[in-house]
Amino acid sequence: MKKILPVANAIVAVVSGLLVLLGYFFPGVFGGLQSMLIGWAIILAAFALLLGIFNLGMVHWKKIGKDGSGSIYSIVLLISLAVTIVLAGLNGPTGTLSLWIFNTFQVPVEISLLAILAVVLVYAAARLVLRRPSWYTILFLVTVVVVLLGSVPLFFLGEVAVLTSVRGWLAQVPAVAGARGLLLGVALGTVATGLRILMGVDRAYDG
Amino acid sequence: MEPVLNLNNDILGLVFILLCLGLTLFFTYLSRRGSAIHIRDIPAFRHFHREVDLAVEAGKRLHVSLGRGSINDLQGGAALIGLTILDRCAREASNSDRPPVTTSGNGVITILSQDTLQSTYRSLAAEERYDPTNARLTGLAPMAYAAGAMPAIHDEHINANFLAGHIGTEVALLSEASERSRSLSVAGTDDLTGQAVLYATCDEPLLGEELYAAGAYLGANPAHIASLRMQDILRWALVAVIVLGAVLKLLGIVP
Repeated sequence: MKKILPVANAIVAVVSGLLVLLGYFFPGVFGGLQSMLIGWAIILAAFALLLGIFNLGMVHWKKIGKDGSGSIYSIVLLISLAVTIVLAGLNGPTGTLSLWIFNTFQVPVEISLLAILAVVLVYAAARLVLRRPSWYTILFLVTVVVVLLGSVPLFFLGEVAVLTSVRGWLAQVPAVAGARGLLLGVALGTVATGLRILMGVDRAYDG
Repeated sequence: MEPVLNLNNDILGLVFILLCLGLTLFFTYLSRRGSAIHIRDIPAFRHFHREVDLAVEAGKRLHVSLGRGSINDLQGGAALIGLTILDRCAREASNSDRPPVTTSGNGVITILSQDTLQSTYRSLAAEERYDPTNARLTGLAPMAYAAGAMPAIHDEHINANFLAGHIGTEVALLSEASERSRSLSVAGTDDLTGQAVLYATCDEPLLGEELYAAGAYLGANPAHIASLRMQDILRWALVAVIVLGAVLKLLGIVP
């Protein structure tokens, strides 16, 4: 059984992947099967999310059992999780209480983290010169400064036409060219990864 | 007019996929026959083996973060590469006291990471080392995912962090946590903004297609090296087509 199960998993994954792929090219023949399989995948993803939340609860339950300064955070997380599930379950996802939880806790915390992110990025840019001293680093930092100065009105000067036009050129010509190059690599890499899954070489579902 | 264009696009797409498949199979065949190929040096992958060895010797852990991309769309590709890295980490650190820990921001990726760890330990006849709580869902929104993964970096005696998957600008918070805990960060993402942030914040950034080469560099399978060659050939072909198109447009031959 231990040997049969991985092979059966691989056959199901490869056949399902092929049918979904063929559905894009021959929608008349395989379109129905493709929609059905994608629908199943969405339902399975929803159950996977439930299992993931159960896993999150398990991890923090174990942390509470251990002696450590961080266990108070795990207690807060588990209580918040339970309260949110109960209130959102009774009230619905768009109910008053659910929205109150979202607007009072989730949104301010995420905005605070975004503010920290801005500080972290400025600090990282300054540290980059020490971490990776090269011409590319200097070019990177000069570009960042020019784009920033060209994006906002400056004290006493207002919008500087030269900086604005340089920023526009940087955003439209070198940035787009670079982004296309990177996206080309990402797209080819994604195709290669998908093909390895279809060939049954990469098996993330082997357990 | 529209249906004809769609038909042409579909046929072109199918031909492209078949070309990719043909080249991958051809190079896999060559690779299995022992035909050696040269791959350029990427420092991030050179440091991978060193960091794994250091983690085993120092009794520390490796942390693999798989991002928050859904497997149901394009973002899943990067996460699948992350699973390959996780498999290699678990194998190479199999004799360590502390097994690798995985974080992700998507339920399916969490299940797949648990499955990867379990199958890796099973193949090593060490299934007792598998602990489902070593593969964790940390949060579904970008900031929640980062906020949940940061304590793992701080508190779990991490020696190196491998961040591979769909991760946006929040990757800066993970890199910062890694810097503060004096652990190495090797990171790659399919998100363009995330890649720009990685360049500034990460010790060893993997840009563009470098992330997708992970399997070939970490010695996962001959098919990984074959697909790397396929990508190289098609990249040059696409570059040639783009340049040709630009020249033809410049000359006014095509509208």
